[in-house]
Amino acid sequence: MTIQKTPTADMAEALRLAMLRANPDLSRFDPLPRIISHDDFSRGHCGWSQLVGNYEDDLDTMLPGYAQHTSAMISTLGHWDAGSHGGMDSSYALKIATRARAGARNVAIKRHTFRKRGPIRFEVYFTFKPEANELALSETDVRSVGFLFDLQGGDRDNADDRIMPHIRFLNAENGKHVQKWQFKPETTKFKTIGTADKTVSHDHLAPEGWRDLPDGGQRLCYNEIPTKINWTYLCFDFDLESMRATGFRCNDRTFDMSGFRSISIPAMKNLWCMLNFCLFAETDTDKRAFLYVDSVCISGDF
Amino acid sequence: MLPENITAVVGRNDRWTGNAASEPHECGWAREAIIFVRALKTPKGKQPVARVEISPDGMRWLPEGTEAAMPSEKDGIIALRVNHFGNWLRVSADFGNDAESTVLVTIHLKA
Repeated sequence: MTIQKTPTADMAEALRLAMLRANPDLSRFDPLPRIISHDDFSRGHCGWSQLVGNYEDDLDTMLPGYAQHTSAMISTLGHWDAGSHGGMDSSYALKIATRARAGARNVAIKRHTFRKRGPIRFEVYFTFKPEANELALSETDVRSVGFLFDLQGGDRDNADDRIMPHIRFLNAENGKHVQKWQFKPETTKFKTIGTADKTVSHDHLAPEGWRDLPDGGQRLCYNEIPTKINWTYLCFDFDLESMRATGFRCNDRTFDMSGFRSISIPAMKNLWCMLNFCLFAETDTDKRAFLYVDSVCISGDF
Repeated sequence: MLPENITAVVGRNDRWTGNAASEPHECGWAREAIIFVRALKTPKGKQPVARVEISPDGMRWLPEGTEAAMPSEKDGIIALRVNHFGNWLRVSADFGNDAESTVLVTIHLKA
């Protein structure tokens, strides 16, 4: 429920903030009033599973972009030269690894539905590195890391669209250290899967169609050899009522989202109230790219 | 809290030829693992022995000692059990000329 602005509500909010800030597990987040999930990967995979592509009768019908995906891992960020790096306050983090082929990607997904169309917030502590198989900084080997939502209104909402906000940090492209945030307003054409007229597929993470966020350049802390990492914070706000992005922050930077657009495609007959979250990595070279996620907090105002 | 228990798909519909291996899987939290390899299509040619491999760093691989012959027919499945493997696991197989198998490789891990 949304708390009304009354003296009692002010006290409730003050109490909520005091309890949040005194809780070592949650104090580093700024959640909205209801925490939908809080994923600390010392407690397992927390529902972050592999994004598998659609298919019918034969796995060969799966689009190649999805066929390459594998399951995420629970990692200690173990390195050949320095041992386990560990997470922010446990030994473990979620690890999303691409295959060792330029342009390869991998995606982990968490699938929910929503109870109310209102504000939601997605907060993540993350870092990324390539596989440390060279004695070199390798700062341009990871192409990007990013996240997306996959959303659709309720079955009585007259919701005509499936909405998919995408954001990635384009770290490098063709060997150039680009370091900028991008969004993706378009997907590929839909392809019919199989013959039963039940399944279609589209590759919304296809390489084409990314656009720069205004003033979206950001030099993240990368450190000085491929086995040293630093955790980075991001926070993305989205309103399920208007289906618009309302804010995006990364560490000390706040980005202008007025020009942001989500992928918008016709609503599907079986995805009502869908509230999916994805995290992904892409490699720019024939070397595995690793997205590590220390923790995720998904919250809402409902 | 129940101990962690996860099924990881590390290769799905992957066509194995030559010196083939599943993607490295980091799973040092687990005390035991079973790796299943299923032939999704009729294998071609002489099928090699699949072997579990372990690694100090996820990049350099050594045989762990557990082996099983690759499935010889469509939907054939082999199981490889291991319970002392450090932080990384994969399964590999060396196919001769003109031999191949299209595989589903799953790792089942328990804390």
